[in-house]
Amino acid sequence: MTEGDFEYPEFYSFPPFFTIQPVEATRQKQLALWRELILKYHTQNKLKTLVVHECPLWKNDSIGRKLDETAVRTVCSDLVDSGHGEWLDEEETACRILWRKPEELATDVYEWASQTGNVGGGICTLYELHSGEDVNGASFEGIDEELLRRALAILEDEGKCTVFQGETSSEDGIKFH
Amino acid sequence: MAHRRRGVGVGRTRAGASRPGGSVPASGQRRTSSAAMPSSQMQIQMPQTQDDRLQKKADEMHALSMQSALDTVEKLQVKLADFAKKHQSDIQDDPAFRQQFLQMCAPLGVDPLVSQKGFWAKTLGVGIGDFYYELAVKVAEVCFSTRSKNGGIMALAEVCDTLNRNKARRSSSSSKRKSGKKDQLYSKGDIAVAVKKLATLGGGFRIVTVGTSDMIVSVPTELDQDHVEIMALAQDGEGCVAVENVTRQLRWNEDRVERALALLLQEGMVWKDDYHGISFYWFPSVWKEKMAIEAGAQ
Repeated sequence: MTEGDFEYPEFYSFPPFFTIQPVEATRQKQLALWRELILKYHTQNKLKTLVVHECPLWKNDSIGRKLDETAVRTVCSDLVDSGHGEWLDEEETACRILWRKPEELATDVYEWASQTGNVGGGICTLYELHSGEDVNGASFEGIDEELLRRALAILEDEGKCTVFQGETSSEDGIKFH
Repeated sequence: MAHRRRGVGVGRTRAGASRPGGSVPASGQRRTSSAAMPSSQMQIQMPQTQDDRLQKKADEMHALSMQSALDTVEKLQVKLADFAKKHQSDIQDDPAFRQQFLQMCAPLGVDPLVSQKGFWAKTLGVGIGDFYYELAVKVAEVCFSTRSKNGGIMALAEVCDTLNRNKARRSSSSSKRKSGKKDQLYSKGDIAVAVKKLATLGGGFRIVTVGTSDMIVSVPTELDQDHVEIMALAQDGEGCVAVENVTRQLRWNEDRVERALALLLQEGMVWKDDYHGISFYWFPSVWKEKMAIEAGAQ
């Protein structure tokens, strides 16, 4: 999917969506809608990182509206606070987008392993798990390695897999039980 | 259904009385000449002693026509029941038919919607009342689920579209329907009846007419004429107003406009849009309806 195919939700054309709402209840709703939009946009386009000054979402030319700098800050902070984003630097210029929470991701990975017959001794590399042919269409296809490791750590704790160190970090092997 | 006689003092002079056209009762035939005269002359010529008898006669005739009217109503009710029984499936499946049936019932004081038990429920099987109660629940669900976005105001047309879309989706997913009949859609009239049902439960459900649209309000917030007029003004435009254009077009002072907008904002019925130094106040409900109309026109 290219970025041009992304289908924007209806409220993206609602002009007040780009003004942070003064009334608390409405603002909460608005921020939730922004959160949803950012996640969907990055997940569908397989984008791992949101670079604050580059993100095209802040601006909708078709209705001539954009979030101002303070508003962008508010939206991003909310995303991080909700656990769907993590700042990558102290200056807060870039944000890692958590497509799925680590627990959800762990479930997805294990389900994939069962379906592809890897459970019960199958081994694959970390690289194959996010960029291999077998993961086409999986929710974690193209995902950030760091996030994948967190999910695998959860599976290790549950005794569902073992991670072996490879020559490079991408070549780390995973054995599913 | 038993033909009970209602009305007063009609027991004696019943035979032949229900003939339409104000027939003269038997006891009056002796005075046919005077009865044919205009009533003003009659009073002058009548001796005092006949006054009482005349009054009595008038009462009798009045009671008779009353009785005949009641009989007619009763007959109509029976007819209506037969009709309902015969067209039961039309009433339940066809929104236009249902609407007309309800209109037919109203002047006779029959409300099939409230008859959960008894005669009407038996006549109509499931009961047309149930149909509207079910619809009312669906309407309430749609209104509640969008409340945080629109503050509890939603165009009736939008609610109707949403429900019909859901219905279409459901029936296409269960493709193996036993009857080949295609699913009938809800009409706007159906939705209006359902909202009236909800209104009786309290909680503020009501329909507010704004300009050319009916809006369903699903919150108890009191909306006065000022709020409705602002909404109508938004409807004339793109779905928004600014303080300046309200003061100009409605000739209100700023205070009044701001007071009205403050409530609408507080309730989430409008969202604020700061654009080039001017604040616009958008009604999600009005905006969405306009979008739907635009989309439909294309």
